[in-house]
Amino acid sequence: MTTLEQLYQAVIDGKNKDARALAQRALDEGANPGDIVDKALVPAMAAVGERFKSNEIFVPEMLVAARAMKEAMGVLEPRLVAAGITPKYTALIGTVQGDLHDIGKNLVAVMWRGSNFRVIDLGSNVPATKFVSAINEHRPHLVGLSALLTTTMPAMVETVRAIRSAGCPPVKIMVGGAPISQQFADEVGADGFAPDAASAAEKARALVESA
Amino acid sequence: MTGRDRLAASLDHRSTDRVAVDFGASFVTGMHVSAVTRLRRHLLGDTGFRVKVNEPYQMLGEIDDQLRAALPIDVIGIPGRKSIFGTESRDWKPFTLFDGTECLVPGQFNVTRAPDAGWHMYPEGDTSVRPSGHMPAGGYFFDSIIRQPPIDDDRLDPADNLEEFAPLDDADLEFYRAQRRWLDEHGDLGALLVIPGAAFGDIALVPAPFLKNPRGIRDIEEWYVSTVARQDFVLEVFDRQCAIAERNLLTLIGLFGDSVQVALLTGTDFGTQRGPFISRGAYRTLYQPFHRRLNDLIHRHSSWKTFIHSCGDVYPLLPDFIASGFDILNPVQCSAAEMDPARLKSEFGRDITFWGGGVDTQHTLPFGTPDEIYRECRERIDIFAAGGGFVFNAIHNVQGPTSVEKMLAMFRAIRDSAGG
Repeated sequence: MTTLEQLYQAVIDGKNKDARALAQRALDEGANPGDIVDKALVPAMAAVGERFKSNEIFVPEMLVAARAMKEAMGVLEPRLVAAGITPKYTALIGTVQGDLHDIGKNLVAVMWRGSNFRVIDLGSNVPATKFVSAINEHRPHLVGLSALLTTTMPAMVETVRAIRSAGCPPVKIMVGGAPISQQFADEVGADGFAPDAASAAEKARALVESA
Repeated sequence: MTGRDRLAASLDHRSTDRVAVDFGASFVTGMHVSAVTRLRRHLLGDTGFRVKVNEPYQMLGEIDDQLRAALPIDVIGIPGRKSIFGTESRDWKPFTLFDGTECLVPGQFNVTRAPDAGWHMYPEGDTSVRPSGHMPAGGYFFDSIIRQPPIDDDRLDPADNLEEFAPLDDADLEFYRAQRRWLDEHGDLGALLVIPGAAFGDIALVPAPFLKNPRGIRDIEEWYVSTVARQDFVLEVFDRQCAIAERNLLTLIGLFGDSVQVALLTGTDFGTQRGPFISRGAYRTLYQPFHRRLNDLIHRHSSWKTFIHSCGDVYPLLPDFIASGFDILNPVQCSAAEMDPARLKSEFGRDITFWGGGVDTQHTLPFGTPDEIYRECRERIDIFAAGGGFVFNAIHNVQGPTSVEKMLAMFRAIRDSAGG
């Protein structure tokens, strides 16, 4: 197996120390850091997403794979920055105001990173005004809103309305979280919904590429 | 039939005069204090009455004797001596929630303003240490603040994740003796006992909001990672926790005997909205051996039925829960992927009692009309109560903003179902 193939497998298997070492070895062997991302990490996270969707793996295994990807990215990021390589698309993500839950949001963020998005994570309990100012500052292609609680679904409605009415640069809005459905997404005027983190990566690519 | 008879018959999968009902017997079958306050004022008047918050994490309100008598409620419950914030249910003091509800909270319920204008809560009410809970401004309940010390994999010690598990002490025994007397005074009602320290890896408890200085693995994602990457560590924690729980269970069985009918063992969530949280293999490796040990002990030494709470879609795991010896499933989250009520009843209704599933608290109860709520409750009762094996409860706790009209629609459906 080549180093990139080993790195691909290490991420899928959630071997974080191996992933870090293999990313470093790939660099040492002269690989372009952008190629390492495109040829090992992105396909690995795509494979993880597929396995998740088909119930071959579950949330804990996905978190372990995400951790391995982060370890590899920790090695690659300084080299990516130095080489001026940036992802084509930028996404903002956050859990809406009043809601402190972030595991689902974090998984979506990591799957988006694994789909080669630059992801700016605003955290949880994020007011609508903060989303708006972050959109103006970073001019993302996509913004993701998460909510776990039924009682914070109104905050999601408010956030979508604030973004749409604030004269922000054009941005696609995705919504998700346990109580969220496609019907709710349609009602609030979001551009997309995904029932899980793996689907969210596919949906994000489709939305930004169709823009 | 008395409430106790009704619960006993339901658990034995026999028909009852009307469906057995629980609201308020446990931390997963309750009502938010705002909802209880609204309902109580509507039914009993007494606008000056302040409802007690008997579970300060989810801010559940006590269903007192008067309110219970005004509603079709059949079950009472005994919590642990200390709450998830380490507070005890005593020394009540007034408190006003963000929505204006005036209630009573335990004396150790001490909050300070959080930077977002919400509230910070402290373990055992000790405001001199780091806060362990946070309710956002305008919120209805708390979430844990993660206080994760740096993790050194070479120095991980299972004892650090076992600090909260200990043999019952004198204060615990005194508490449980008083609870036994209270049960005896309410002998016509069904009785549920929350077993302390019996939930393995309950993610609400892992961050240990009751501890002032938690050690070990306390971050939620890090814990889930550990169930894959540090399985030996997790198994060691569970094994030692289980041994302590077994000793305590024998004590509690001796103390309560047949006055208790149901033992709530675990609130660890194994499901998500779209499917199980973990594989069947992971359940069988990590959890089932310990669930079996506790269920076997209870069934060997008592008449108690055992209760597992798990949110989400657990349909694929149900055969394993049953094989582990559980008698009761809660909250029966019918809004999750594969949790179709009729299929659950038809496939598992002979083997397990469904305690919950009465109405969807994600969609119908908060957003539906009273008519829609009534219809859903009637439909669920028709499906789940056929031949017994059902205790009516909403799917998890009734949320704070729920209107009186919606709650009344639910109770009207319960009463009407008794007439066929």
